[in-house]
Order: sequence, then structure tokens, then C-alpha cells
Amino acid sequence: MTGKIPATLDVAGLRKQFSVGRPAIDGVSFAVPPGEIVVLLGPSGCGKTTTLRCVAGLEYPTEGTISIAGRIVSSPAQGILVPPRLRDLGMVFQSYAVWPHMTVRQNVVYPLKHRKTGRAEALRKVDEVLALVGLSEYAERPVVALSGGQMQRVALARSIVYRPQLLLLDEPLSNLDAKLRLRLRDDLRRILKQTGMTALYVTHDQAEAVVIGDRIGVMRDGKLLQMGSPDEIYNRPADLFVANFTGATNELTGTLVERNGAFGVVDLGNGQRAEAALIHALGPGEKVRIALRPENIAIGKHDGSNSFHARILDRRYQGTQTIYDIDLFGRRLEVLELGTAARHEVGVDAPVSLPRTICWAYRDEGPLTNQ
Amino acid sequence: MRLNFLSVAWVALLLAILAFLVVYPVLMLLLGALTDTNPVVDGFGVFRLSVENFTTVLTNPNVGEALANTLIACGGGTVVAVVIGLAFSWIVVRTNTPCKRFLAAASILPLFAPPLVAGVAWVILGSPKTGLINTLFKWVNLDWRVDFYTLGGLVFVFGIYYAPYVYMFTASALRNMDPSLEEAAEVSGASAFATLFSVTFPLIMPAIISGTLLSFIVMLGIYGIPAVLGAPTNINVLTTYIFKLTNWSPPLYNTAAAVAIILMVVTGLLVYLQQKVLTGRSYTTVAGKAFRPRSVDLGPWRWPVLGLAVLYLCIVVVLPLLALIVAAFRKFMFIRDAASLVDLRQYSMVHFDSIFDNPLTLRSIYNAVEVGLITALTGGILAFAIGYTIYRTRAPGRRTIDLLSTLPVAIPGLVIGVAYLWAWIGLPGGLYGTIWILALAFIARFMPDTVKALSTSFLQIHRELEEAAWLCGKGMLGTIRTIMLPLASPGVIAAMTLLFVLSIRELGSSLFLYTSNTMVMSVLLLDYYEGGNIGKTAAFSLVQTVLLGVLIGFANWLSRGASQASVGRTG
Repeated sequence: MTGKIPATLDVAGLRKQFSVGRPAIDGVSFAVPPGEIVVLLGPSGCGKTTTLRCVAGLEYPTEGTISIAGRIVSSPAQGILVPPRLRDLGMVFQSYAVWPHMTVRQNVVYPLKHRKTGRAEALRKVDEVLALVGLSEYAERPVVALSGGQMQRVALARSIVYRPQLLLLDEPLSNLDAKLRLRLRDDLRRILKQTGMTALYVTHDQAEAVVIGDRIGVMRDGKLLQMGSPDEIYNRPADLFVANFTGATNELTGTLVERNGAFGVVDLGNGQRAEAALIHALGPGEKVRIALRPENIAIGKHDGSNSFHARILDRRYQGTQTIYDIDLFGRRLEVLELGTAARHEVGVDAPVSLPRTICWAYRDEGPLTNQ
Repeated sequence: MRLNFLSVAWVALLLAILAFLVVYPVLMLLLGALTDTNPVVDGFGVFRLSVENFTTVLTNPNVGEALANTLIACGGGTVVAVVIGLAFSWIVVRTNTPCKRFLAAASILPLFAPPLVAGVAWVILGSPKTGLINTLFKWVNLDWRVDFYTLGGLVFVFGIYYAPYVYMFTASALRNMDPSLEEAAEVSGASAFATLFSVTFPLIMPAIISGTLLSFIVMLGIYGIPAVLGAPTNINVLTTYIFKLTNWSPPLYNTAAAVAIILMVVTGLLVYLQQKVLTGRSYTTVAGKAFRPRSVDLGPWRWPVLGLAVLYLCIVVVLPLLALIVAAFRKFMFIRDAASLVDLRQYSMVHFDSIFDNPLTLRSIYNAVEVGLITALTGGILAFAIGYTIYRTRAPGRRTIDLLSTLPVAIPGLVIGVAYLWAWIGLPGGLYGTIWILALAFIARFMPDTVKALSTSFLQIHRELEEAAWLCGKGMLGTIRTIMLPLASPGVIAAMTLLFVLSIRELGSSLFLYTSNTMVMSVLLLDYYEGGNIGKTAAFSLVQTVLLGVLIGFANWLSRGASQASVGRTG
């Protein structure tokens, strides 16, 4: 498929205030370079979908500018609000939104009809895109006769058939069952990369975000907390919420005793000390919270500076992995070990090691409030 | 089953009641249509079966004319109703027009207007000589004249009063539609207009068709409106023609029965078609999740749109009510100019005094209330028994009960009247001439609506609540008394009030079943109209409207909207 050059998406200072309550989007800025897939990740109600809908033009922002390929499409201050159909973008909806009164082909050709495409060319484009999503044999079927996964492919085909300069995807996989979701997830990334389109993708599923996105933006309460590559998000989360949301669910509290460069020594109480990577700029004497991924704690190993003894409190065997609850100087931590063998017995003492690079220390601003 | 014998006996009892109420009259009607026996003269002696009545009826040019008029009036009226109803539901559900809540509530008001009262109001407004509209035109020196004693007038009045049927169906379909289906079209590049016609309307097509058919069906069975608007210029539709046949001397009961059968068959086919469309594939529930409300921003256009909606409400509610008030309180209907319209000396209670001087007036109100109470109580209890048996038991034969109790949906009120006439007029010492024949006819006529209204409140009560009571050791009847009745009582009371309201305004079937002793309000109102005194007619219309308004307010307060849908179907 050949087409237009993919466009840049620029969002600057975006705010959306509904008539009541706190703003749904509170000063969000980010840019998506041409051909890149950016995923907005966050719990429900964090403003990610509203952000996407503002970009689509289906929701009207209160402040800030949105430009696609250098053209401002929304700027309340300048009185600019381009309607969705003139923004030249494609969108895949969470509920598929395929039109049930049409066949697969009628669904996919619909955008071309509203773009004055010649019949022959439209036919060729539809065939091409149906081949791309793997639905060539289903072209003449009514969409209601398709499975959920196939409907989502129709929705994808419909949104890319006219090669829009920007593709928006709103939790496109969340209505599918788990197995199908995994398969379609990989397909989706392949198809997006094949077409080379710029894409903004919204999801609440971290695993999906990591596989699909070139970059991930984590949102909470209408704010964009961190935008970075999946590797950065997973290995250097910018704050406690990002760490927790992406799976670093263990927490230790303590006081910073001394710092040397990027690392510092933290007093965890009872005279126990551990080294941690300082993500925030912290000084000695400050209270800190350390976030730890259950996968990063190793039981039975004794190396490096952060080596301790812990008691195994509980064991939950899950087949391909085992979860342990351990008691580390009075704190209860979760540890995850991969493999089909459960190696440690409940009740025994075992050495554990927490490499300092995976102990991320943040300024202690109280416990995370769970929504 | 432990209660096997009892449940069989119970089902047999219900079936016997339904046979008595529904099957027997319809069979008698059929028999009447197939013989030339006059039941009044001959009694039930000899029957000579033949299809002669049908052949005479079908070759009779008067019937052909009535049929053509019916099709034009109902067809035209349906077109008007669809346009108004669809526009209204789109405005209320899908736009940011101001005062939407008010518009939504007001748009179903016309449903509550008794057809006869609406007809009388439009006679006052639109009669070619003395109509208020023409008076106004004359007064402002406009050369326009309207004449509602025409098929066009009939189409207009039908259209504006039955638009809510289309509205109710399409508005709920629009509400249940996933808004992202429309958003997808917009993002795809379609304009708002193109989206409306390529996505929105095709998606709610089942609801549109079904609302269209329903409004057509209801118009087909209406007597009051064509009776008053068509009478002066002798425009007959099927319903008015049937009544004329029974008023001939000698009365042509057999021919009336044949025409009634034809009307019933046509209605039955349309009802069947409508049910088919309704239960057919519905697109609106594809996604099955809660939707965010979405509305089209009309910008400055929302004010003219609001204006249009308010104009409709004025035409359909305010204007007729004003007309009735003016006509009821004015001594003479002749209005020379605008000054005379507001001249208080021209107004008095003379028409009210005169109607209440007539002993028949109070008698008819008393009768109507009595019939209404009997209908509401007996019909409500029967509907409760039927609804419970259908929805809450596994009794054998409950499918047949369901079928028989929904059968009257396909029988216009007028046809029920003719059927009951046939069923009882020939039996001396029977029901004919008593209040009970009216009540039984009403119970049969409104059975489907009552059962349906009750079934919604049954379905809201979880079966486990009953099962829990059984496990606690309560018997079937004890459970109904201690669990079902208390929980369903708001629904039961609302259904009974609805039944009361419906039977007070019912005209079509009363026409054939009243005698001078059992005269009811709506029939007397028609009498006043035919007597030619528009002041008295308007005064009595107002009396009926106020009575119904109070009752409907009460019913609505009880059921919070559950009754709307049901008043809906019966017209």
C-alpha cells in the first residue's frame, strides 16, 4: 500500500473541563512523530479516551492546541475547531462500531464514498486492505455474521482504507476474549507498521501497551505522568504511580541516609539498610518509598549489597509461575518466580537479593490512593 | 408436579373465561357475517350459511369508497405522523436543543387526548364557516381559508395526534443505539446529513417500520375523529360506515359484521407484520453496553428547532384546548372580530348549566364511572391471574392462554362492539342492555394492554424472591399473597387505573352496546355533537378532559411512566 506521508501529531497544553468535577484532561502535552505508535496507558477515568476523542474531534477541548501535520485542528483560544470528517484521520472504536446493516465490503468502502474515490480505485483499495487484515474471503458477508475478532478487523480495515494521515485506536481489543486479544495484538502491530501510519492508541492493559507501542504515555487523573519507550517505563518509572501501575506492586518505606551519585543508602528501620536507585532528586534525611517488581526479587540468591534473609509466608502455585509472600524485616513482599517448579517451602528462611538497580526510590508522598 | 390436578383445573378455568370473553363473540361475529339472519327479529333459530354478505360488501361501491377514504386518511396520516415523530425523536435524543426534558414529556401528551374530543376541538378550529382559524384569517384580512371537513383535514388531525406512536418507538431505538456507530461515519468523512440517512435511520429502521405500522393500525380503528370531521360532508371511512350500517332501518347487522370481519383481518395482518418486524433482527443492541449520551451541536439552529417543536405542541395541545374553552364558555359561537373574542360579556356558564340540566348527563357520568370501576377491578384481577400463569408458572396450556389473551390486539374496538352485539343481542334476558356487557367488552378489548403492563412489573420481581418464600415453607397462594402482591402492587394499581381511564374514554365498542339506561359519557358526547350544539359539546368535552386529566395524572404518579406505552397502543 502506498499513500500519503504519515503526519506528526502535536498536542500542547490540552485541557478538558466538563461542567462538573475535576478536569478530565489537565494540561496534557505530547508529540507523535511520523510513523510512530504512541500508546496512552492508564486506569479507567484517567482521561486517555477523552484525549483521543479530542484529537478525533468528537469531544471539544477547553484549552490547548492540537495539530495534525502542522495544521491546527483544534484551538479554543483561536476559535478553531475542525470537524472530524475534515481532519483526515481514521478511528477504531472500542465497540467496533461496524455498521450492522451493511456487508463487510459496504462497511469498508463507506469512507471512500465520502471521499470521491473512483469506483475502480475504491474496489482495488478495498480488496487490498481486506487482504491486509486477512478478510478477503469475507467481503460479501453481512458483518453481523462475523465473530468479534473479525468485526474488529473490519473496523480496522475501514479506518485505514483511505490511508488517513493519523490513526486513532480506542481500546480496540478490550471487547475480545483473552486468547484472541493476544493474537490480534501482534497482528495489529504488524499491520500498523506495514502501513507506516502514525497512530495514537489507548488502552488500560500494560502488556498490550508494551507490545503495540513505540512509546508509552502513562496517564492518571487527567495528567500525563511519563512518556517514554516501553523499556524506560518498565525499568525507570518516573513516579510511584507509574511503577505501581506497570506492576511494581511491592513497597518499602524508609529514610535516605546518604547518597552517592544516582544511588543512595536507605534506612529501612530496625537498623536494616539497603541501596536504591534514586529516581527523584532526594537529599539525606528525606523519607522515601521504594518500589519493587515481584519478578525482580530473587529468592535463594545471595549476591550484591542488598542481600537479606527472609521467611517464606505463603506460596501460591499458578502452573507456569509461583507467587510467594515473604517477610522481610517485618514487611510483607510479593515475589514471582517463573517456571513450573515451586522451589521454596512455606515456613523456611531463605536468602533474598534485591539488586540496587531495581530498587527505585521515590519521595514519600503518602501511600498511593487506590481508585 | 404436585398440584397437577389443580393446575389443570386452573388453566381450564382461565381458558373458559377467555373463550367466553374473546372467542365466543368473535365466532358469533363470523357467524353473523356468514348468514342473513337478523338476530333481533329471528333470535338464534335457523342459520343459512353463505358468503353472500362478503360478495355484496366487496362489490358495494359505498364500501369501496369507504375503504379508499380509509386508506387515504390513514396512509396520509401515517406519513405525517412518521415525519413528525421521527423528527421529534431525533431532536429530543440526538441534539442539544434546549428544554429537551420538557419536549420529551410533552411530546406524548397527544396520546392521552380522546380521539372524539380531539375531533370536536378541530371542528371548532377548522370548520369552513365558523371555524376559529378562518375567523382569525378573516380578521387579519388574509384571504386564506381552511376546511377540515375534508380528507386533508382528516390526514392532518390523524397525523398530528398519532405521531407519538412513531416517536415512542424511534426515540427508544435511538437511545439504545451505540453512538460510536455514528461517530465512525463522521470520522469516515460523512457529513451530519449523510450520517443521518446512511447510518442512523437505516439502523433504527425496524423501530421506524414498527411505529409506522402501529400508528396506521390505530388510525384504522379510530371512530371519533372521522365521525365528527367526516360527518358534515359525508366522508365515510370503514369504522363510520360500519356504524351507519347498524343504524340503518332496518339495521344491516349482517353486512356490518362482514365489514367488521374485513377490518379485523386487515388489522390482524398488520399487527402480525408489526410483531414480525419487532421480534426480527434488531441492530440497536449489537454492542450491549451502556452508552455515553451524545448530542449533535445545532449551534444557533437549536432555537428555531425548539420553536418548531413548541409550535407542534401548540397545535396539538394548546390550540385545541383553547378552542374547547372558548366554545364551552361562549354564549354564541359567532365571533365578529378580535375584540369580541376577549369580550367577557360574551362568556357564561350557560352551556354547562344546560348539559347538567339534562338528567342524561349525570347518568352517563355515573354509568361511565361504574363501567370503569367494574372493568378496572375485574379486568385487573383477571389480568393478574393470566399474567402470573403465563410468566410465573409452568402450567400446561399457558401458551394458549397467552395467545388468546393477546388476540384482541388485532381487533379494533368497534369490531369488538359489533362482535359483542352479535354475541348477546339475540339472547333474551342476557347481558345485552346491562352495564356488564360494556364492562366485559372493555375487559376483552384492553386485556392485552393490561396483561402487558402487569407483566413488566412481574418481570422486575426476581423469581428467587418467590423461591425463597417457597423454601421457607409458604405455599403457592401464600407466596403470591405475601411476596408477589405486595411487591407488584404499584404495578397492579397502575394497571387498574389505566384500565379505568381507557374504559371511560372508549367510544368504538360502546356505540353498539349502550341502551338508553346504560348511556356512557363518550356516547353522550357524540350525541351532543350530532345534536348540533357546539357549545354543549365543547362543555362536555371539557368535563371529560378534566376527569381524564386527573385520572391520568394519578396513574402516572403511581407508575412513573409505565402506563404511557400502554395508553399508546389502544388509541
